[in-house]
Amino acid sequence: MGKERVLIANRGEIAIRIMDACKELGLDYVVVYTPEDEASLHAALAKEDDVGGLKRAFRIASYKDPNEIFSVADQSDCTAIHPGYGFFAENFRFARRAQMRSRPLVFIGPRWEVIKDLGSKINTKRVARSLNIPVIPGSDGPIYNEIEAESLAEELFFVQKEQGLRHPSVLVKASAGGGGMGIEEVFHLDAFRRVYRRIQNYAKRQFGDDGVLIEQCLRDYQHIEVQLLCSRHGEVIHFGTRNCTIQSAGRQKRVEVAPGFDPAVVEYPFDARAVLDRMIAYSIRLARHVGYDSVGTWEWVVTRDGSPYLLEVNTRIQVENGISARIARIGGKAGYPSLIKEQIRAAMGEKLGYRQEDISFEGTSIELRIVAEDTRRGFRPWCGVITRFEFPDAAWAQVYSHVPRDRSYNIPTEYDPNLALAIIWGQDTDEAKTRTLEFLNGVAIEGKDAQGEAVIHNLAYLSGRIEDIFKF
Amino acid sequence: MTDINLNDLLRGYRSNPFEERDFMTPHSGVITFLVKEGQVVNGPGGKWSHKPGTALYMLERERNIRKVTATCGGEVAKIMYELEGGFVEAGVRVLSVRHKLAKDEIIDRILTQVLYIFCAPERARYFLAPEIASKLEKQPQASLFVRPGDEVIIMSLMKRDTIINYDGASGVIYKTYFEPGNLVEQEAPLLGICPPNKLPYVQKVIHRINNEWED
Amino acid sequence: MQMDQRYMKDSGKLLGQLVDRISYLTDIKADPGWKGLGELMGRVEAMRQSIYELDEASIFEEIDKIEDRLSFLEHLAAEGLTPAEIVNIARSLQRFTMSDVLENVYDSFAELGGDGECNVDPAVVVARATISRCVKNKTYSHQVMVIGHEKGRGEEYRNGGCARPWGNAKALRYMKVAETEGIPIHFFIFTPGSFPVEDYPGAAQQIARNLYAMARLRVPMVSFISEGGSGGAEAIGLTDLRLMGSRGYYSVISPEGAAAIEGKIREGEKLPSGLVAHCAKQLKLTAEDNLRLGTIDRIVGEPPLGARRDDYAFFRRLRYELIRATDEIVLKTKSFRAFRAYALKMQSAEKEGVPEDFDLVINWDLTETEIERLLELRSRKYRAMGNGFYLEERRPSLLGLGKAKELASQSYYEIRYGLLRSHQRNVMKVIEEVSSEGSVLLSKVTRPVKAAYEFVFPQPERLPRGERSETPERRSIFAEEWEQYVSPLANEDRTVSCPNAAKYSCLDLWVPDLYGEFCGVCPSCGHHFPLEYRWYLEHLFDKGSVEEFNSNIVSINSLGFEGIQARLERDTKKTGRHSSMITFDARIKGIRLVVAMLFSDFRNGTVGAAEGEKFVRACDRARITRRPFLSYVHTTGGIRIHEGTLGVIQMPKCTMAVREYIESGGLYIVVYDNNSYAGPVASFLGCSPYQFAIRSTRIGFAGPRVIRETTGEDVPPDYHSAKNALKRGHIQGIWDRREFRKNLHEALMTMGGANLYYK
Repeated sequence: MGKERVLIANRGEIAIRIMDACKELGLDYVVVYTPEDEASLHAALAKEDDVGGLKRAFRIASYKDPNEIFSVADQSDCTAIHPGYGFFAENFRFARRAQMRSRPLVFIGPRWEVIKDLGSKINTKRVARSLNIPVIPGSDGPIYNEIEAESLAEELFFVQKEQGLRHPSVLVKASAGGGGMGIEEVFHLDAFRRVYRRIQNYAKRQFGDDGVLIEQCLRDYQHIEVQLLCSRHGEVIHFGTRNCTIQSAGRQKRVEVAPGFDPAVVEYPFDARAVLDRMIAYSIRLARHVGYDSVGTWEWVVTRDGSPYLLEVNTRIQVENGISARIARIGGKAGYPSLIKEQIRAAMGEKLGYRQEDISFEGTSIELRIVAEDTRRGFRPWCGVITRFEFPDAAWAQVYSHVPRDRSYNIPTEYDPNLALAIIWGQDTDEAKTRTLEFLNGVAIEGKDAQGEAVIHNLAYLSGRIEDIFKF
Repeated sequence: MTDINLNDLLRGYRSNPFEERDFMTPHSGVITFLVKEGQVVNGPGGKWSHKPGTALYMLERERNIRKVTATCGGEVAKIMYELEGGFVEAGVRVLSVRHKLAKDEIIDRILTQVLYIFCAPERARYFLAPEIASKLEKQPQASLFVRPGDEVIIMSLMKRDTIINYDGASGVIYKTYFEPGNLVEQEAPLLGICPPNKLPYVQKVIHRINNEWED
Repeated sequence: MQMDQRYMKDSGKLLGQLVDRISYLTDIKADPGWKGLGELMGRVEAMRQSIYELDEASIFEEIDKIEDRLSFLEHLAAEGLTPAEIVNIARSLQRFTMSDVLENVYDSFAELGGDGECNVDPAVVVARATISRCVKNKTYSHQVMVIGHEKGRGEEYRNGGCARPWGNAKALRYMKVAETEGIPIHFFIFTPGSFPVEDYPGAAQQIARNLYAMARLRVPMVSFISEGGSGGAEAIGLTDLRLMGSRGYYSVISPEGAAAIEGKIREGEKLPSGLVAHCAKQLKLTAEDNLRLGTIDRIVGEPPLGARRDDYAFFRRLRYELIRATDEIVLKTKSFRAFRAYALKMQSAEKEGVPEDFDLVINWDLTETEIERLLELRSRKYRAMGNGFYLEERRPSLLGLGKAKELASQSYYEIRYGLLRSHQRNVMKVIEEVSSEGSVLLSKVTRPVKAAYEFVFPQPERLPRGERSETPERRSIFAEEWEQYVSPLANEDRTVSCPNAAKYSCLDLWVPDLYGEFCGVCPSCGHHFPLEYRWYLEHLFDKGSVEEFNSNIVSINSLGFEGIQARLERDTKKTGRHSSMITFDARIKGIRLVVAMLFSDFRNGTVGAAEGEKFVRACDRARITRRPFLSYVHTTGGIRIHEGTLGVIQMPKCTMAVREYIESGGLYIVVYDNNSYAGPVASFLGCSPYQFAIRSTRIGFAGPRVIRETTGEDVPPDYHSAKNALKRGHIQGIWDRREFRKNLHEALMTMGGANLYYK
């Protein structure tokens, strides 16, 4: 791979994981950090690597300013940019600029056209439907006409009654909205018109666009993800499925597990393995259609009757990529793969060099997100100084953290108070669960906030949720 | 909030009315200085402060040349000449200006000891409550009365907004000490509030400073 | 002793007169040292000082000497008056004013809307007055409304005759009164220009309203110009007959203003007097020039050095001219033959100076049909103004066809719409069917013509995107949906800062994103960066629906202004166009409309004779074809100063066309963008009932610098912002550029509705 140098345009544990991946691939790297992140381990580690006259850590004004990233990339002679997740990971403009600027940089992610195509849920839904991939029943795009909206709502109620659902309902959403803003659930067709008008007014006021989306409201579902890895050479490989149903109040994932279902521990009212296979097949169909060429996650929901619906595609490496990798084995290679490394290789134009038949899966892996937050008070973030952070050392547990362990650490007020990611592996689900609880028991976090109160974290919450894994 | 010894305070400021202010790069880029050490620069001017101050240095990033102007007047005290023509990171101190406090600034400072000061409970970003902000935007001189329990300020911390209720003495918001959206250190003053019975005293203090302080 | 005192008084008075005359001459020459004027003044002053020490004989001897010398100098000055000196005469404090006219030309008067300083606006005087004539030793009086600027004797409250917006509003109010009462109006223009403040009702807006009203005011109107400063003059200048004092000036801009622009003089710097004189000459602002250009109708003779406050002979002449002018207007509406006879008679009578007697009394009342004729004549008069001062390139093969097409379409539209008015509702449905058939027929007839009219643009340059997206399969699956015109500005790898960055912490924008996908709009604060006019042509209208017409009308250097020829040629070369006005037919979501567009790249979107003519023709085309009419102002810098008053009269001319279009049932919408200032805003744009602005537009009468220099006050940086224009009631809404098409369509549907094509 020669003289490639990767700029890591992210912070926290993902920056460290990308750093490690680069080093293992024999690539040079550069990190950026903001003044608030001066004490973060990713900056400190990069500074330790500052040898041979090459500066590896650059202070920038903001992780969200693309100009800062490109400016540092040029200054430090980088040839590629890894966006991590969040920030620029799914920003097609950033990817487009990287590719089209007069000094092009390899964007480690899919082509920008793909990011743009799949970046909008509406577009994704349209393409999926054209490929006979099931999506949540509802409108294809924003509806501006009340009569059209009502007839669609009527149809949705009818379909749900046909399926024998006891409490059918539809969701009315502002098309330009997001993040839970401007969404209402309607339980009776009679009430629909009123809600529709309310949302339409709200959307017009808030977003200047009175387009409204209407879809069936699903309840009691499992959130399943399909992990794909594709290359520029048309190779499409899946790394199985994950279950990310356990989420905090703000729809933040806290515990994830791979694989997606485990019929060995839970009895499903449907053929779990067949459903997973169907989702994988659909995901691959869509990936091939759009010419996908990087790692990506296809998000699905599976209702109690075993029907899968495609939600959206995440065109990036995800936080929970580690658990999929952890249960995967590539024939002929020792240990388990790293999806970040594979993603970089794909972006650099390499062939993956293996086929689906070479992939096998082994055991169950659980990921825990250790966060300083008050789970009993709406997952309110906590901030202050962490004075002690320790966790057990075991071969079946990997911990990724940007919190330095040899000194106290001030949680920056600008970012989420994530402390660490732990990936636990077990030969089967029961062993994984036991090990997870064992791991959690061994974690020690100490610290205090500005008022001198002790640190608040989510360890107890995590322990409490392990039993719920795989359960509807 | 007690009576103050104005004479002592003024004497203190008079003996050293200067303050060294550091200028940090707002972002990364290649720097070219436009001033010299010892040069006198102007802060923003004009009736509406709409005329930018003296251009201090240029910062070129992604082929965009930005002229960074002085936010306060004074004499350029120190320039990091070694940075000239090179790439600088964000938040690097590139020069400092010796600024002579103007009468308004002296008044603001002395008033922090006269007014009831509402401080920042945490290091965070702060905004005025929307109602107050919109009133002040329409009428910058409007006197806004606050009572304990009123929603005055929004604290933005860890991406979450918390409404902060006023808990001091009732009075008029006399002074806003922070720029909305900027990071404020814990215990730094946010608002200066003047209870109605203190108003004559505050006006007397201002009057005296106005008379006794020469710019 | 008594003798002595009287003699002292007389000589003192004589000396005083000498002082006035010397200082008047000094004013005209703008040079105290001219031919020893200063020394002469010194001698007079010295005599005044020592009047008690000198004997009578020597005083009178000295006075006579000075008088002789002064008369010689006056004669000399009068012989070679330059335009700049004429401007000085018109501005002199010793020149006659509005109140002198009221007192000496009219028999009696009562001021309306204020008295002296207690006034809505002391710079504008309105009075109800009587003017009388002698016929065979009998006196006949006429009632008239008199409206004019009062410069006063330099009192501050008179504001130098600069009408404030509410002063012009007062003028309009009393024009309406005169209309109700059916009496003629005499206007007297003594203004260096309008006071450029935007306070309600707004300088530009009010002038536009006045013009719009005067275009069809149902009484005879005469105006007399002494000092005609551009828009300020037009506010009360759209009349049936325009008189001008022989030592007055009528100009698009003050010579100083022109010099500042031409010499690119920075604010606060002194103007070189040579440059000012040069500009005064170039602007063609004298009475003779204006008569030659057809911007005035007749010159009222003044003494060689201009009429002053006590020139009773001149006032007599002025009264005669005003009566004659009003007579002629009235007669023209009655019978052209009577008018000709009257005019001939007056001409022969005038050979022996101003006649004492009129031979006949003309009644100034008009009947309904006469009023219609008055309006018809006024319309024709203004529509003809400026004709011949643009070039209409012949396109031989087209000319015949074009005319035929116009005729054909006129009768077609008359049949389609004209007949239906009476029982429109009942037959609406039937007609729709019929008319759709009709349009098929018409399109067959006009097809070959259309091809020649086709509006062809060079293919837009595209982002390097095209070259990079290697194989078709590597493109987006939605690629076709993204296809659109991309501004050539986008073709550069660099970033720019948003001007609001400090306030809204906007990040620097990458130019290809900004000018491509973002349509030149900052995504965080909504600031609009300027875009070229072509972007609008491509994004606003239905694809391929834009068809230009009248592109063969060419802007020329009509006054022979030095250096302008080269600039016109340069702009023509740069833009491939011949004027700053583009007129075309287009469609928006299927709605057909006629569009007039002023764009910045050609002479900064200024309006001259060619632009005005194109506008009028577009307006008429919309009227004939019964289509909505859109004026999109990409930018306008005002009236083109290099065309002098030929530019100024585009204001009444175009307003006339707009008024007739609206009155015939048309829907006229104006959308401002970028910088929209001055004359056009104060006339044919500002008179639209529906005006909108694109965000980040600056709209107003005069820019900040002119306001500072005129009023001595600085204005806030956002003084001319669209938001403030909305606050002041100038515009009805602010549109985002990205929503322009949608908003325009909505506006057409809302304002036009079922009557979109015919009311």
